[in-house]
Amino acid sequence: MRRTKQIAIILSDTLQSAGLQSLLADYFPPVEILNFHSFSDFPENGNDFHYYFTKADTFMLNVDFFLPRRSRTLIITSDEKTSASSMGYNYLSTGLPQESLIEQLQQFFSTEESNDMTERSKELSLREKDVLKLIAQGSTNKDIADKLNISLNTVLTHRKNITARLGIKTVSGLTFYAIMNGLVSSELIG
Amino acid sequence: MQMSEVVEEHPSLIPIINRFGIRLGLGDKSVQEICDEYQLDPDFLLIVINTFLNEEYFPEKKLQTFHTSQIIDYLVKTNNYYLYFQLPNIEHHLTSFISMNISGNQTLALIGKFFFSFKNELVARIENDDRQWFPYCLALSGKLQEKIHKKDNQALSLNLEKRSEDVIEELLADLKRIIVKHLSGDYNLNLCYAVVSSISSLEKDIRQHNRIRFRILAPMVDAMEKLSVK
Repeated sequence: MRRTKQIAIILSDTLQSAGLQSLLADYFPPVEILNFHSFSDFPENGNDFHYYFTKADTFMLNVDFFLPRRSRTLIITSDEKTSASSMGYNYLSTGLPQESLIEQLQQFFSTEESNDMTERSKELSLREKDVLKLIAQGSTNKDIADKLNISLNTVLTHRKNITARLGIKTVSGLTFYAIMNGLVSSELIG
Repeated sequence: MQMSEVVEEHPSLIPIINRFGIRLGLGDKSVQEICDEYQLDPDFLLIVINTFLNEEYFPEKKLQTFHTSQIIDYLVKTNNYYLYFQLPNIEHHLTSFISMNISGNQTLALIGKFFFSFKNELVARIENDDRQWFPYCLALSGKLQEKIHKKDNQALSLNLEKRSEDVIEELLADLKRIIVKHLSGDYNLNLCYAVVSSISSLEKDIRQHNRIRFRILAPMVDAMEKLSVK
């Protein structure tokens, strides 16, 4: 599954941020966008966002914050001569036709995304399969911990990973998956 | 604006307006005229339609100004629609999907089983709505109107309705994902699409229902509970 991009838009121009937000939501889903009128509205110890959209002046005034995040920050500018990325900074000029805007946004996201394509194997690990089998047989988390001799926390982590891998959340769904893939036979299920 | 224009543009609204008793053959009538004819509150109808069409749009404050009975009436109608139309519709497609299975693909029968476990869950919730929760909400709102301050603690403690994540939604999402992502073996393509799209339309409807249920009705009930204790 593609991960939801968490995006902070820090722009004082409400129309500009609304426009940007709708472009992002329409063309680059799934996104989760928070708008901030100015940098001071920005939660200081809040979670780090995946991407930032802001103006050059905000960037410069808060350079301590943005410099380490410059590859994930897009600077909105009205200057059409600024090239899309120079000196490691990413720019987007608002005057461009929509088609080019989208192209540039695409580029911005793709360069960044290729960096964090973490190894994501689709296969469950052996241990995860063991946990899944037990879930399918109706064991509670505590049962699973006892049977596999692992801590409750470890069970929870395994469950989280299984759900993330398969995209299946409910016990019924997981049970179905286990049967379908021959991890348990349907006779074992009540 | 003519009602017919809206419905032509968004045919997915047909089941929604049906719920309000509105039938097709809309003619040139405006939304206002239709509402007069069927004795509906145009504000409420429009808000339901708009939240359905645009999932970003959910004016919580405005919705909470409607009367409890109006909200419940709508939720009852959507429940009935699930029971008598959408569930049988999925079942219908699913049954052909499973029976058109010449190569003996076992996963299809399993999908059927999974659907029925979802169906039981939804039917149970609807029964509970009809028997307990909705009558309770209505009684509470009636009690407040009559300003009777009974101090009995017969609050059904229905706080369980305040979940942010809903089993019903999750089961449905899993069902869809299992078909899309993990289906294997031979199967009929057309019937499979019919199954997935009927699931998907139920999913969307339930998402809307749940928003109203958990974000409008539940907080209203909360507030009324506090008032009735005073």
